[in-house]
Amino acid sequence: MNFGFTQEEENIRKEVRAFFQKEATPELVKEIAENTGATGSGIGRKLVQKMGAKGWLCPTWPKEYGGLDSSETISFIIRDEMAYAGGPVSLVGATMAGPSILKFASEEMKREYLPRIARGEIEMILGYTEPQAGSDLAALEIRAEDKGDYFLINGQKMFNTHAHFAEYHWLGARTDTSAPKHKGISLIIVDMKSPGITVRPMTSIAGGKTNEVFYDNVKVPKKNVVGEVNRGFYYIMTALDFERMFPFGGVRRILDELVRYTSTTKREGKLLSKDPVIRQKIAEIAIEVEAAYTLYYQQAYMLDKGQIPNYQSSMQKVFSSEAAFRAFDVATAIMGPRGQLQRSSKWAPIDGEAELHYRWAIIEDIYGGTSEIQRNIIALRGLGLPAR
Amino acid sequence: MDYSLSEQQEMLKKSARDFLSSESPKSLVRQMATDEKGFPPQLYNKMADLGWLGLNFPEKHGGTDASFLDLAVLLEEMGRACLPGPFFASSVISGMTIMELGSESQKQELLPKIASGQTIVTLAITEPESGYNPDKLKTNAVADKTEYLITGTKILVPYAHIANYCICTAKTSAGIALFLIDGSSSGIKLTPLKTIISDKQFEAVFNKVKVPKKSLLGKEGKVQAQLQQIMLKAAVAKCAEMVGGAQQVLEMTVDYVKERKQFGVPVGSFQAIQHHCANMLIDIDTSRFLTYQAAWKISEGLPFAKDASIAKAWVSDAYKRVTKLGHQCIGGVSLIEDHDMPLFSKGAKAAELTFGDADYHRELVAQELGL
Repeated sequence: MNFGFTQEEENIRKEVRAFFQKEATPELVKEIAENTGATGSGIGRKLVQKMGAKGWLCPTWPKEYGGLDSSETISFIIRDEMAYAGGPVSLVGATMAGPSILKFASEEMKREYLPRIARGEIEMILGYTEPQAGSDLAALEIRAEDKGDYFLINGQKMFNTHAHFAEYHWLGARTDTSAPKHKGISLIIVDMKSPGITVRPMTSIAGGKTNEVFYDNVKVPKKNVVGEVNRGFYYIMTALDFERMFPFGGVRRILDELVRYTSTTKREGKLLSKDPVIRQKIAEIAIEVEAAYTLYYQQAYMLDKGQIPNYQSSMQKVFSSEAAFRAFDVATAIMGPRGQLQRSSKWAPIDGEAELHYRWAIIEDIYGGTSEIQRNIIALRGLGLPAR
Repeated sequence: MDYSLSEQQEMLKKSARDFLSSESPKSLVRQMATDEKGFPPQLYNKMADLGWLGLNFPEKHGGTDASFLDLAVLLEEMGRACLPGPFFASSVISGMTIMELGSESQKQELLPKIASGQTIVTLAITEPESGYNPDKLKTNAVADKTEYLITGTKILVPYAHIANYCICTAKTSAGIALFLIDGSSSGIKLTPLKTIISDKQFEAVFNKVKVPKKSLLGKEGKVQAQLQQIMLKAAVAKCAEMVGGAQQVLEMTVDYVKERKQFGVPVGSFQAIQHHCANMLIDIDTSRFLTYQAAWKISEGLPFAKDASIAKAWVSDAYKRVTKLGHQCIGGVSLIEDHDMPLFSKGAKAAELTFGDADYHRELVAQELGL
């Protein structure tokens, strides 16, 4: 066993931290938050291009596709520091669709998309959820009809974050209506400029944008199918395992902020940090942060050994997202009545960061597979309990 | 980063599991609750033959020079087996205290005998009005020319009835000191205490017990920082036992809910049970990683105080949650004393309260954070 980082890993952490100290301006962090953790099309996009130039967006990819051929541990460190700084952690191309393309797609498709993703030139949109297909993803209905040399797509997606600015839809669509429901889905990359697509933004509880996407007779070339036709559900399940690798830097940051805040703020004449109840609560956050990191880096370790984390990703996702909620809940409560004040409001402690992330944390227990779905996966895949 | 055990550690784990499942079955564990000694001496001798009683002692003192991490691997298996006996008191904490504070001659004298099982040493720290914080202790040691007179009351002294020596904390004019007291000294009165797991724990009243000056362990008034480190290492060692217990509870629970049928189907197919089991696994894996992270730091000679307290705070709560859910999933049969579950659920409470509970260690974490 070894729970330490190598010198190379420590060095890259320092480098990334210094990069973000310079780049993570209040404007950037605000833009990222408004785009639900995504880059947006403004300064966030410029930032990821700078990261891309250093190879930090997709460090583990082979050099020919724009990566650094690095270990997964390095990639996990970069994402953790990015999360700490309030950077764009929700990178669909780099961390969800891209790894799936690398694993399942044709060489032609890899060359078409991967280098552009790695440079930060294009971003993708997860196109999974529909109004009647949430946790039961295999129930999705959007139809991709085989018209000989193209697919004709009709239907609706929901909660597709990034759709208001990104270039490509990573779309799960039904290509076989007669097969069992999880065997009739294909994964298709759709250019968002295609005629017939309408995007309708919605604003989430955390103030970020997500979207409904409508397809009305949209023509998509057949070469845009990822891997094999009708195998899409399996690819999505794998891509979801990538998505669940939940960078925890944001909680580490609120812990640091809370230590600073309570050590410098008095209530009724007494420093908050001297209140025994507050000390217990902050220590508990520190403990859960450490626990979350053991699960986070376990995945990097497994990947570096050539294993694919499976229920381990679910464990990390459910533990981290729930621990994040507890942390921001405690953080806002420690601030007392001022804990409800929002970013840029007069009197908002830590510029409303805890309040904003409290709302975020409610979302995080649901998206990417709810806590309940994660526990199902742990029980069925991890412990071999019988399905009903 | 490496989350795997080494080949040698895997071998130690496997041989420990095989040995303990045949030599210390749960029937024996239950039997020992009413046994006068509290453990079978022949089992202890076999453990000595395996080299376990001096596992991480230096070779020149009768040990095998194993690391703290190796010890954690062995303790995890012992926790799984609910192994009764003075191993933890004698070989782990007392051995560690002697290794860290003892003079060369004390080490030479005692460590080989602890490793062979010939000598059993226990530790008397807790007092009725204080837990693990040596600042608050009341037992005192008054010095004259050649000896000290020790007076005070210690509680929860494990296996005091069979211990050849007792390492005792006391206040002297110079501050906190540690004494190695011969168990046969006059003036020591032992009273057995009834504990939640019916293990052998005693009140030890010291009434002007004469202790020669050469029995001081470490320097009078200078041991407090080292004692705190030893208590933290003991907490991590305890965590390793707890992780093993928790793992066994989960395996037992999962096996049961796959078989047990109600409403015509295995209860393990119900989502409520599945989520309980998932929560148990999350608690256990985080407990194991935090414990091994602290143990690894100890092994590597890195600063470990924060990691140790993080582990003990987390595992204290997590192990309790795991045993509570184990009862909940298995239901009625797990409530009967003949079932294995009570060994673990009661053990979780006892372990929580040993070497500092979650609140105690969270306060230490708060200090480490600079609060």
